[in-house]
Amino acid sequence: MKAPRRNGSEKPKNENLKKSLEKLKANNIEEIVKRIEDAEETVVGSSEDSPFYPSSEEYDDDESLSKDDGSIIESGSQQSDLSEDEDSVHSRDDDDESSGSDDDNPSGGNDHGSGDSVSEDEGNDNRHAEDNLGESDDSREIVEESDSSEDEVTPRNTIGDVPLEWYKDEEHIGYDRAGKKIKKKERQSKLDSFLASVDDSKNWRKIYDDYNDEEVELTKEETKLIRRLLKGKAPHADFDPYAPYVDWFDWDGAKHPLSNAPEPKRRFIPSKWESKTVLRYVRAIRKGLIKFDDKPKEEPKFYALWDDSTSAERQGLAYIPAPKPKLPGHEESYNPSPEYIPTQEEINSYQLMFEEDQPKFIPKQFNSLRSVPSYDKAVQETFDRCLDLYLCPRVRKKRINIDPESLKPKLPSRKDLKPYPTTCYLEYKGHTGPIMSISTDPTGQWIASGSADGTVRIWEVETGRCLRVWDIGETIAEVAWNPLPELPILALAAGEDVFILNTKVGSGEQEEKIDELLNVDHQVATVESDTSASIVSWGHYDKHGGIRLKHFKKVTKVEWHRKGDYLSTLISVLIHQLSKRLTQRVPFKTKGIPVSIAFHPTRSIFFTATKKVVRVYDLLKQKLIKKLDAGVREISSIAIHPGGDNAIVGSTDGKLCWFDMDLSTRPYKVLRCHPKDITRVAYHRSYPLFASCSDDCTSYVFHGMVYSDMNQNPLIVPLEILRGHATAGGRGVLDCKFHPRQPWLFTAGADSLIKLYCH
Amino acid sequence: MKYKNNMTFTIIFVVLQGKKKEGNAAKYVTRSQAVKDLQVSLPVFRKLCILKGVFPREPKKKVKGNHHSYYHLKDIMFLKHEPLLEKLRDMRTYERKVKKAMSKKNRDLAERLLTRKPTYTLDRLIQERWVLVGFKCFFFFLILACYFNALACADVPQFLELGFRYPKFVDALRDLDDCLSMVHLFAALPAVDRAVDGEKIPVKRVHHCRRLSHEWQAYITRTHKLRKTFVSVKGIYYQAEVEGQKITWLTPHALQQVLPEVDYRVLLTFLEFYETLLGFVNYKLYSSINVKYPPILDPRLEALAADLYALSRYFDASAQGSSLKITSGQQDGENLDESELRLAQLQQQLPSNEPGALMHLVEDAANEDEEDAETRECKNLFKNLKVYLSREVPRESLLFIIPAFGGTVSWEGEGAPFDESDQSITHQVVDRPTQGRKFLSRDYVQPQWIYDCVNARIILPTEKYMVGCVPPPHLSPFVDNEAEGHIPEYAEAIERLKAAERKEVLPLPGMGKEDLDDPHSILGIIDRAEAIEAAERKRKMSNLEKQYHEELKREVKGAVYKAPSSEIEGGEGDTEGDTGPDLDQITKDNASMSKVSMPRRKRKLYEAMEIGKERKQAYVHRLKERKKKIDEAKKSA
Repeated sequence: MKAPRRNGSEKPKNENLKKSLEKLKANNIEEIVKRIEDAEETVVGSSEDSPFYPSSEEYDDDESLSKDDGSIIESGSQQSDLSEDEDSVHSRDDDDESSGSDDDNPSGGNDHGSGDSVSEDEGNDNRHAEDNLGESDDSREIVEESDSSEDEVTPRNTIGDVPLEWYKDEEHIGYDRAGKKIKKKERQSKLDSFLASVDDSKNWRKIYDDYNDEEVELTKEETKLIRRLLKGKAPHADFDPYAPYVDWFDWDGAKHPLSNAPEPKRRFIPSKWESKTVLRYVRAIRKGLIKFDDKPKEEPKFYALWDDSTSAERQGLAYIPAPKPKLPGHEESYNPSPEYIPTQEEINSYQLMFEEDQPKFIPKQFNSLRSVPSYDKAVQETFDRCLDLYLCPRVRKKRINIDPESLKPKLPSRKDLKPYPTTCYLEYKGHTGPIMSISTDPTGQWIASGSADGTVRIWEVETGRCLRVWDIGETIAEVAWNPLPELPILALAAGEDVFILNTKVGSGEQEEKIDELLNVDHQVATVESDTSASIVSWGHYDKHGGIRLKHFKKVTKVEWHRKGDYLSTLISVLIHQLSKRLTQRVPFKTKGIPVSIAFHPTRSIFFTATKKVVRVYDLLKQKLIKKLDAGVREISSIAIHPGGDNAIVGSTDGKLCWFDMDLSTRPYKVLRCHPKDITRVAYHRSYPLFASCSDDCTSYVFHGMVYSDMNQNPLIVPLEILRGHATAGGRGVLDCKFHPRQPWLFTAGADSLIKLYCH
Repeated sequence: MKYKNNMTFTIIFVVLQGKKKEGNAAKYVTRSQAVKDLQVSLPVFRKLCILKGVFPREPKKKVKGNHHSYYHLKDIMFLKHEPLLEKLRDMRTYERKVKKAMSKKNRDLAERLLTRKPTYTLDRLIQERWVLVGFKCFFFFLILACYFNALACADVPQFLELGFRYPKFVDALRDLDDCLSMVHLFAALPAVDRAVDGEKIPVKRVHHCRRLSHEWQAYITRTHKLRKTFVSVKGIYYQAEVEGQKITWLTPHALQQVLPEVDYRVLLTFLEFYETLLGFVNYKLYSSINVKYPPILDPRLEALAADLYALSRYFDASAQGSSLKITSGQQDGENLDESELRLAQLQQQLPSNEPGALMHLVEDAANEDEEDAETRECKNLFKNLKVYLSREVPRESLLFIIPAFGGTVSWEGEGAPFDESDQSITHQVVDRPTQGRKFLSRDYVQPQWIYDCVNARIILPTEKYMVGCVPPPHLSPFVDNEAEGHIPEYAEAIERLKAAERKEVLPLPGMGKEDLDDPHSILGIIDRAEAIEAAERKRKMSNLEKQYHEELKREVKGAVYKAPSSEIEGGEGDTEGDTGPDLDQITKDNASMSKVSMPRRKRKLYEAMEIGKERKQAYVHRLKERKKKIDEAKKSA
């Protein structure tokens, strides 16, 4: 019953056994260790003298057994007094190998015949004894550890290599040879074991061996052994792991030498190479290449570097010395004058500044020199200076150390250039809106003004008397007197119409002539000229008499030709002939939107100014002569010098460009005088004066002398700034005109005043 | 076919010729190009630049863009042929060898290597001339090489034109400001093993800087070249005049210095050059007054940190020694050590209590003739003064200044020539709230008195510098008050005192600020009043004139008054309106009118100048405002 079961599961059984053994060993060892430790505390004093030697018989028996087994543990020192447990600890491999063979012996003895006769005998004896025991005392568990090693007693376990847990719940522990149940041994009650431990001082050395089901008492040697093992030493006290090596080979008695060669010659003569090396060293020492001085002699570090004879000049690239650091001012003093110390508010205001703008150094007063602390930025500032010295690009720059006044051009004294308008002499009041335009009568006795309130007024220059008022009813863009003194008629642009009115300031003859001129048109009003018929219609102006030229668009400018027969109006440029009631377009294409127009004072040349350029056309040849490029943002007005070769152009960015048309198409001089738009520029007809007026409520008067010598450039001298107008609706002075004979200037302002400036 | 051939030809031609480089593109290289060209690392390049004094330049046209720094090609060539470059490379390989030996535990080799550390000197860099024979050979060889290699000829002319840094002694003096400031700063720095950047500030160099700075100061003191001093918050500024060059330097206050996080490698490289430069300058200066240069100092005094005094004694001793030598005959040369020993002995023999007297003894008449009037003035400023320094005053600074102006000085502490109980002491400098024991025979002054006296070049009355009181403001001597526009009160007082001195009239000691103030204020008031009056008169005149003209005109024209009342009123109102801001307006108009006809460039320049002027004026105005407020507060208090 037992055998087949065992045979069938030999391997797993073995493994199980091994496992259980290990467990057991571990348990036991722990237990022993514990006990040993406990005992050391309690018993050490007495245990010295108390002999723990096992009985001599036992000892002998063991020894003989192990010898017979023939399995010597290590170094020949026959230590067989190992308990099974210990043995299993330090030669587990042996267990695995031997367990199969040795353990099979007791149970199935016949299939194993390799054991020595002695051991077998012994085993048999043991078994017999145990059998007897088992028989005699059934209750005893006969469980023996199967893997008792070779030097150990053969297992007394009669149940065989069976895991004990198989019988865990059984009454018996296994079966004996005869098939009888072997009863489990009565367990000692806890109380008894406790009492036993109290009574027996050696009880701590007793271990219960599960497998053999017996109590084992450890000898003193065994405990020592365990202790040594625990310390990681060799188990036997006499074993020396560091024993000196004993050469087993007997050299002295050797008959033949290993090499029979004779001693070479070189062993007896001095080395050539060594002598050469020595020689080399000697030479080097003699030459002074090798020095034995540890410290080389200090040569004088400094000497006369610059002798007086040197006439060395810097060569090559110019060395640009770095600019010297700024010398400190009063404020850097440790005790500056109180006015150099900023007040607390100022210091606070520094916090609001940008970091770059903040002052680097804030002056501070110390009452005595001893209270001055060390300057914490000293190294930093030196470092910054160093960086400047080697990182900053250096460049030689001419330092301008000049009086700024010397930059101003030398101009002739203004006193020599008199007369010119300087002071406001008269004001002409009466308009209620901004005065858009004024125009002087060629005789110089009258001026006409057109205002945004829809009225045109004629004033007597010298008195300021308002001679006549026409109410047109629409904003007057421009008024223009006929340049012929014998034909005192006035052209004015209002809305889409151009009116030509009789001013009635002339003599009787003139009046008739004018009436005739203006009346004729009444009949011929329907006469249509070639192409412009659709654009302009000539008609009679019923309200105030005169001619009405109706345009299709708003008219911004009216300009008379010098002969007084033609007048030009500006929408796209049209030229009207008064005597023939003819209207024609200019016979050339104008690029861009024209801003201003002007007739040449002496020749049949026509100027149109677009926003960027001024074009000069020859009316007879009907072609473009010149293009004047002002280079300004937007041209606002143009005026032609009475000589005809020069022109001034005003722009909306406040620049005034003087063109010398013989010289170049670029401005000869750009005068940047007004901060705001220039509204109008004007030349004086006879004096070398010109003026500009602007929205900033000022008008400038310049001296502009044009010499007849072609080699001499015009002389331009700013003379006077005329103020007095007030700004209204964002506009300032809207028009300026010179008196035809006197050096006087009329200005018309947005504040509905006309001012006369005299010299 | 033919066309195609032509094409290929042109292409080849272009390729062969390469990009034609002319102008700025050829003359200037960027820094990275330069580094690449020199085949060095950036730190080495930096070091080379610092030592050789090569700086970036500003080309007219920046070919590579605005954010690069440009070096002139000649400068780079100049660096390329620098033997120092090779030396630096050697040092690098040497360091590698040592490191390798150490890491291989080859201690023997490492030690042997350590004894053979390659070094370099910067002597040549200062004057920068090819004087050494070896270098001449090298030079010649290079020329030959270039000659045979026609392609390489491009750099020959650059190589020939070497830029000399300080070919003359005067050039070196001219650039000495930074050098002195830095050496003095390092003399005051703590010697740290590991400063912030892991860079060492070795003790040796700090000591060397101290030594050099003292040598320089000793020379200045000795020759009475010091001109101006100024105690600022940053330190003490000195200005000396050597060979016509004004040299200004800053010494930090003798306190613990702060070491911020900066690149100390840069600082130390600069220092390396400056140490050498100052050494040679000192040598030259010392030899010019017949003193052997590396001065041998009395170790006793040196140990007491009274180097300056020790140096001054060295001067005395050497002067005496030289005179002795002349009498006894020449025997120098062969045994330098002996003479040195003797010098040291001589120093010991000097009577320790009268260095000043000795100085006078030694001064020879010939020397005096050479001196200009200013030096003589400086020399005699403190001539009759015997000054004693308490221990709390900045000793080094005063020990430097007082002898420089001819005074005799001693201090509290060991090694001092005379002690406090000396009856002949005329002034004692103290800087404490109260002075306990007082000698009646002497004046107790605060240190600022010395500095102010030096700047004013007169002995100022000591009343305001008494112990315990707040001294009058300390003013910078470097400021031209007139040009600045604001003259501090105390500057005026000093001016007055000076004027009094010149007239040989002693200023009254009790003269206070108020007394000094009065004439000025009265003068000022007179000026202002006059100006206002004149302006008013002018305005009235012009008004009258105008009126007259108007009337005249009306008369001439015989115009009939249409609405006389309104017109004239209006006109008058207008003119009156004009006259209100008349003066201002007229000046402004004049200015703007002259501006109108200026060309743009000039106008811009003019405007910029105006802005600068305005800023300056605003500053002065602010100062005056503050001053006014302070005065008012004082009066009300």
